[in-house]
Amino acid sequence: MELFVERLLAGVTNGSIFALLALALVMVYRSTGTLNFAQGEFALFSAFFAWWLVGTGLPVWAAVIAGMVAGFVLCAAAERALIRPVQRKSELATLIVALGLFSGLNAAVALIWGTDTKVMPSIVPNGLEDYFELFGARVYGDTVITWVALAAVTILMTLLFTKTELGLHMRAVADNAESAALTGVNTSRILMLGWGLAGAIGALAGSLATPLAPEQLSVTTMFPIFIGACAAALLGGLDSLAGAVIGGLIIGVVEAMVTGYVPLVGGAMQQTTAMVLIVLILVVRPNGLFGSKELERV
Amino acid sequence: MSALEISGLSAGYGAADVVRDISISVPAGEVVVVLGANGAGKTTTMRAICGLIDRRGSIRVDGVEIGSKPADVVNAGVSLVPQGRGTLGTLTVLDNLRVGAALRRDRAAIEEDIERWTSVFPVLAERVDQRAGTLSGGEQQMLAVARALMARPRVLLCDEPSLGLAPRIVQHLFATLRDINSEDATSMLIVEQNAELAMDLASSVYLLEVGRVVRSGTPASFREDTELRRAYLGY
Amino acid sequence: MSTVTDRERATEPRTERSPVLLAEGSRAYRIVVLVIIAGIIGLALIGTTLSVYRMSQVTAVLITAIAVIGLNLATGYTGLLSIGHSALFGVGAYATGILILDYAYSPILTLPIATALGFAVGLIVGVPALRIRGLYFSLVTLALGIAFPEIIRRFDDFTGGAAGLLIRSQFLTPPSWTGLTRFERGLWLYGLSFVSFVVVMLLVRNLMRSRTGIAMRGVRDHEVAIRSNGVDVARTKVLTFGLSGAITGYAGGLFAMNVGALSPDGGSFTLVKSIELITAMFIGGAGTLLGPLIGSTVTVFLPELTSTWTTGPISGVLFGVTLIVLVFFMPEGIAGRLQIIARRFVRVVPPDHPAARRPTTSTQNSGGNATGQKSVAAGGAEQPPGPNSDDASSEGSSR
Repeated sequence: MELFVERLLAGVTNGSIFALLALALVMVYRSTGTLNFAQGEFALFSAFFAWWLVGTGLPVWAAVIAGMVAGFVLCAAAERALIRPVQRKSELATLIVALGLFSGLNAAVALIWGTDTKVMPSIVPNGLEDYFELFGARVYGDTVITWVALAAVTILMTLLFTKTELGLHMRAVADNAESAALTGVNTSRILMLGWGLAGAIGALAGSLATPLAPEQLSVTTMFPIFIGACAAALLGGLDSLAGAVIGGLIIGVVEAMVTGYVPLVGGAMQQTTAMVLIVLILVVRPNGLFGSKELERV
Repeated sequence: MSALEISGLSAGYGAADVVRDISISVPAGEVVVVLGANGAGKTTTMRAICGLIDRRGSIRVDGVEIGSKPADVVNAGVSLVPQGRGTLGTLTVLDNLRVGAALRRDRAAIEEDIERWTSVFPVLAERVDQRAGTLSGGEQQMLAVARALMARPRVLLCDEPSLGLAPRIVQHLFATLRDINSEDATSMLIVEQNAELAMDLASSVYLLEVGRVVRSGTPASFREDTELRRAYLGY
Repeated sequence: MSTVTDRERATEPRTERSPVLLAEGSRAYRIVVLVIIAGIIGLALIGTTLSVYRMSQVTAVLITAIAVIGLNLATGYTGLLSIGHSALFGVGAYATGILILDYAYSPILTLPIATALGFAVGLIVGVPALRIRGLYFSLVTLALGIAFPEIIRRFDDFTGGAAGLLIRSQFLTPPSWTGLTRFERGLWLYGLSFVSFVVVMLLVRNLMRSRTGIAMRGVRDHEVAIRSNGVDVARTKVLTFGLSGAITGYAGGLFAMNVGALSPDGGSFTLVKSIELITAMFIGGAGTLLGPLIGSTVTVFLPELTSTWTTGPISGVLFGVTLIVLVFFMPEGIAGRLQIIARRFVRVVPPDHPAARRPTTSTQNSGGNATGQKSVAAGGAEQPPGPNSDDASSEGSSR
């Protein structure tokens, strides 16, 4: 029982990180219809930036917020300067720019901060004694903070989209940018904002993930998380916020359970199993669990 | 003074101009109809006015030159009901109407306007919380008109509002447009391929062929010309 | 400069210089083809004089180019964006490696099996494309790309696992009929890769001119329209992915023979490889014949070039920047751009082309055609004919 709960909680925690980054992917997809291949590397850059700020003596929480601001600025600037000009050319061109950003950002991180592993302190106390018990399983502070962060971001995003005029305009642009422009909505600002918010959420995911990741903070930390997030976003339906959250949690839990209970797979093939599961779900529901639109060019 | 004065408008896609040197005047409080065959450049003209594509030439509203961004055009008091309606299908009817008032800050008046247009178009009142994509074609057209009116335009542009609609619905739509025109003195520029109904509202008519204005005059003068009547009015 | 502004000002677009028309099957066309063939043979011979190191690089370019041709078939021509071709490459490579080591196959005889396995895996991955489209299909290919290295690591008694497979050079000796010794393996693989590349390129060229090829492009550009034309879209997609897998699997087999060491880590069969293949395809020109070769040349030599200027991470940054710059200034790829430039001077037309029969008037004809097409396109873009005919009928019945 304890072991089961421990595995379940570990799955939920990993899933929360996937879900956060998946929310970022969904934000980008809703604004420009692009799958941002570089989202994980944007998050990596922001997390390193936050780590560097901690080194200068800033409190961890302030550094994480500053990292989110950096993520916002970086992503918004990328949309304006690099994505928008090529977006009309072709889907493939946009993807290649994202791949270029992926490679460039990763190398830039290594160039600025080096390739050695960093230790990013947790935002909450996470010593060996800082836990409480849940059904006999130990739950640590940095586990709880990821759950809280995911819940907070989900609630804030839902409020933004359903209760504010800005959110209304963002939904309008996501639906039909030209119609939105015809009513006077500043579509250019909305697109940058969508990417910027994605950058900020991704930065949060990156900063929270690193104390949990086995290899701490290094240039390779974000890629496996990005793959999980990518799968989560697609599983959920790419344009659905709720789908991203549920998708992320499903993938986290499935990976944890498969690792723990399927001896043939063991620790070696958890990603494969998760991916195979996703493909099977997609065969039944070709637009993901909650996708509203068909994602194809007609 | 004209509510909307277009002079020397040229625009197109890429290198080639689709419309050249177009001049159209919409007098205050009146309805002007633009006729033209498929591909004559009607939609391009509308899109150029609204700043969706690059243009050259002058566009004045009440004598004041307007900017070239879509938001400038809406701010100047010009709203377009686009061809194919452009309904925001994943948003509710109510949200569509609210987006229509994107540039307005007078919250109380916005709510009043929502009340007003949902009573003018009762089909919308019944479906305020429904996703716009689930409406029928005619209902979506009503919504598109209502959404454009939410900006309280001085001039309403309609791009082929009758496209793909059943005759009964088209009649209802034009009756409503006539009422709005007479109640609010909203000027209108309506583009149609087959425009008998629109002609009833119009004070003047322009004919577009291959990107140029080739003729203009009163509706009567168009009806008298047998050849024009056959080609564009269908009888 | 002044001519450009003049052209912009002119209301009627006109062609600056009319291209020379080459009719297929005509004498001039045959001469051009012969010159090209002679050029290819010449290049191949020049290649044999290279140093061992350079020759192995050229071999690497050719092998990558074959893999990219496979990717290009699915992604460039048919529009099925694949992020999983690293796995198809790996399937071929491991097939060759395991057959040589465990079953004592002669290396060249493993290639048909590597190809067949690539085909089979491609077909299996292609099946979900029947239901799953666009980015979601890319996710399926991503799943394949992620799964492959994990599977290799998991079944280590078969694949060597994380430790990898080492094929000693004694197993990779050139066949005796070549007359080459064990120490001339580089030359043998260079020749084999060169011939393979030319054959695969010609096969794809002919495929793209067949009905199937037209159907493939149709699937990419207007799937709905082509379906109503009676093309079996499902069959086309699955078959394309199978063929694509076969070609990339073959390249994988060659790769195993060339490197002699296979490992699930290190980027030969991971997503990094997929990214490299996509990049090569795009830089060269997606959906072009020569693109894969040009793109592979760039991706093999560019990192070396950037690392001669600088070392370490800066070359990675430069690589990313170069990619983005290329998209901005050459979105059609290098081969695509060359094609556009070449068309200004020479245009190949089918033998029954009217302009080809009357060479004297051909220039005016083609100029007129170009103008006509432009204005039709502009009109078509403005108002699609479908809804307007609806409109006409509803208006007609309203009275």
